[in-house]
Amino acid sequence: MIEWLDIIWSDLASQFFNPKKRLFLGYLLSASVIATVWLCLIKRHSIGSAIRTFFDRKVWFSRSSRHDLASFLINRVIFFWLRPVLLTQLAIATLIFELLHQQTVIPLGLFEGAGYWTAALSFTLVFFLFDDFTRFVVHFALHRIPALWDFHKFHHSAETLTPLTVTRTHPVEGLVFTARSALVQGVTIAGFVFLFGNQVDLLTIFGVNIFVVTFHGLGSNLRHSHIAIRYPQAVERLLMSPAQHQLHHSQSERHYDRNFGVTLSVWDRMFGSFHHSVSETLSFGIGKETARFTGSIWSMYWLPVRSLARRLARVCLANARPITRAIPSFRARNY
Amino acid sequence: MKQNKLLMSTVAGIALAAITSPAIAGDVYGPYPITLKGYNGDKTDSVSYSGQIGRQLLHNSLKKAIGSGASLDVTMSYFNGADGELALLDPKSGDSFKVDVTDINTVSKTNLSGKAYKGSLPGWPGNMTGKEVLESMINMAAATEKGYDATHGYDYGQLVSKFTMGGVFYHQACDNYLDEKMNADNKPNDKPYKDGAYYTGKEHSWDEAFGYWGAAAHGATLSPKQNYDITKKKNMRDADANGDGVVNLKSEMNYAHAYYAAGFDKGGNTSYYNTITTAFINGRQVIADANGEKLTTPQRREVKRHARTICSNWEKVIAEAVFKYAGSVYSNIEAVKATMGGNMWRVNGSAEEAEHQAALRKYAKYWGELAGFSLSLHTSGVDLGEIGVKMDRLVGMGPVMPDGTQVNGMSNGAYTLANGESMDGFAVHMLKLQNLMVEEFGVEARNNDKISGISNLAEVLGSGNSAEND
Repeated sequence: MIEWLDIIWSDLASQFFNPKKRLFLGYLLSASVIATVWLCLIKRHSIGSAIRTFFDRKVWFSRSSRHDLASFLINRVIFFWLRPVLLTQLAIATLIFELLHQQTVIPLGLFEGAGYWTAALSFTLVFFLFDDFTRFVVHFALHRIPALWDFHKFHHSAETLTPLTVTRTHPVEGLVFTARSALVQGVTIAGFVFLFGNQVDLLTIFGVNIFVVTFHGLGSNLRHSHIAIRYPQAVERLLMSPAQHQLHHSQSERHYDRNFGVTLSVWDRMFGSFHHSVSETLSFGIGKETARFTGSIWSMYWLPVRSLARRLARVCLANARPITRAIPSFRARNY
Repeated sequence: MKQNKLLMSTVAGIALAAITSPAIAGDVYGPYPITLKGYNGDKTDSVSYSGQIGRQLLHNSLKKAIGSGASLDVTMSYFNGADGELALLDPKSGDSFKVDVTDINTVSKTNLSGKAYKGSLPGWPGNMTGKEVLESMINMAAATEKGYDATHGYDYGQLVSKFTMGGVFYHQACDNYLDEKMNADNKPNDKPYKDGAYYTGKEHSWDEAFGYWGAAAHGATLSPKQNYDITKKKNMRDADANGDGVVNLKSEMNYAHAYYAAGFDKGGNTSYYNTITTAFINGRQVIADANGEKLTTPQRREVKRHARTICSNWEKVIAEAVFKYAGSVYSNIEAVKATMGGNMWRVNGSAEEAEHQAALRKYAKYWGELAGFSLSLHTSGVDLGEIGVKMDRLVGMGPVMPDGTQVNGMSNGAYTLANGESMDGFAVHMLKLQNLMVEEFGVEARNNDKISGISNLAEVLGSGNSAEND
């Protein structure tokens, strides 16, 4: 009992003290500074007003934010029990590395003479692009596949956004995120070690992926906030601004299924879901479903499971019909 | 004033002696006083392990004999021992490294066969005991050119050598002298080891284990590189602890697993040599302090604690060697494949064919070392269970050859072959073997690491377990 409480407590603490985590205090601090500077310089707030706006009690202490906090804590406990049975990136990488030895098309160590910097730069860049693209794909799927959307509602039911909203995640979609991450890491690691040998390294700052530090250090936490920082349109066509992600959370119908990207917005442009940020004030949530879905923290956890059970029941009852017909629509945003 | 000067010069003298002395008291194995009650002879040092040093020299010479293509009579004389003079083939005196022995029988008239592991070894063809495996290998080697069997990919010099180190030295030390001979009623400390001996049962049992370990008596005062270079005959100055101008092979040389331990420790991640040698010194001191009386229960517990330190680290040294040579075999599979690019490697006498044969020779050498070390892990008296089965299957009974054959057993004294194996698949076995050594034996030196790239990257990227949205 004491041991697992201790592990959960360490995990909780690491969320704020480990620079690999998005909620690392350093990143939260940099986001606060960026938000304050933005409010002062662009929105012409005084320092006092900027600070008051950023730390708006109506946002930080809202019912939605309390749900964020509750789900953050509950998920830590749930993942403590799930973690031992999850397939790790190491296991996947080892398996793929071994499988690569069985094929004869690509020779082992093809780029072994490439040198440290080429290997490290290539790995870091390819990993960043592959990771960002697959995040886009998974996010896209969470919105467009009805059964997954039921779970992703958990995140979108937030009516106010704070950095903690990033952890407002149903455990089932948490499993999806974990599987994606392990798979991406496993494939990239195995592929690069096979091609470049043991010289492959990750370019880091303070031991953390250089892209992760840059993304988080430059205010990734403001994506989930009420500070609508916009980039110039030319930049937004390449990088996702906080305001663009806030638009993704908008419950206005014309903003549905836009801006799935994380760091890069080029994926949205490629797949037709790109939208520039807008100057209007946005409201967040899942429309008229919000009130019922967020009736209690438990309903947030339970309702997606019940929906899935009902979908499965429908599939079972329609035993003779193909599964694609049993699920009414592949277009999910049902509000 | 005069007194002050005297005091200062005394202190300076002691400090200088401490700095320049190659051996610091307490870090050297022996001498230890005679403690046997009732002993009236003129011996002053109870340490004795010349029989073990004799076997170390037999082992070194046996390897040399097989590698030089000596006749079966000669190689068997190093395995079974021989009357008369038995020439020491390794280490021999050179220009810059002089040793004090030329005839092994002057050190001890002994043999290896009588001390070889008598349990069965399913990892080697023929389901034989350890002793029979060594005999079979030596016999097979006689039918080859300088111990190399190109058909099956066997390097008998390496196989015999590496398995002798385990099947005789490691086995005798950890399955006998540091095991049952440390029990209260076995070789007690208040009686001579045998009639007429000047050392007690426990003193000599401990000394014999130390002799099998193979460290120089002053080895714990040296760095890993110094110890390593002694075996390589590159460091006369550090080897010659007593400064008599010659390396005393009984006490000033590093052999067998002690040499391998120093090799791994050179990397800076481990300190097997000093851990094991110091445990030997500390354990021996406990026995010496008993002053010829039966060891008390706390004393015996203390001695057994040191024995556990020795054997657990010794096992890790062997596992490190398995890890290292699995990496070498993996690399050599690639080297062999690289020589098979065109068709010229099939043409007798072509430069490509010579290159291919050279690559195969190395492949056999490294696999021989790997197999010898992995078989050794079975001989400590501890049943490895499933780990041992996994290890044997990954190592195989022979290397997979370019034509897809691999030895899978023995029938009527001849090896039988499996067909259709792939060298790529065998390379994967080597990776799995390295993983097994990390997971089950906790190896840390990890020479020739072929798997660290993956684990290092996985660690630096961090866990993918997450409950975060984007």
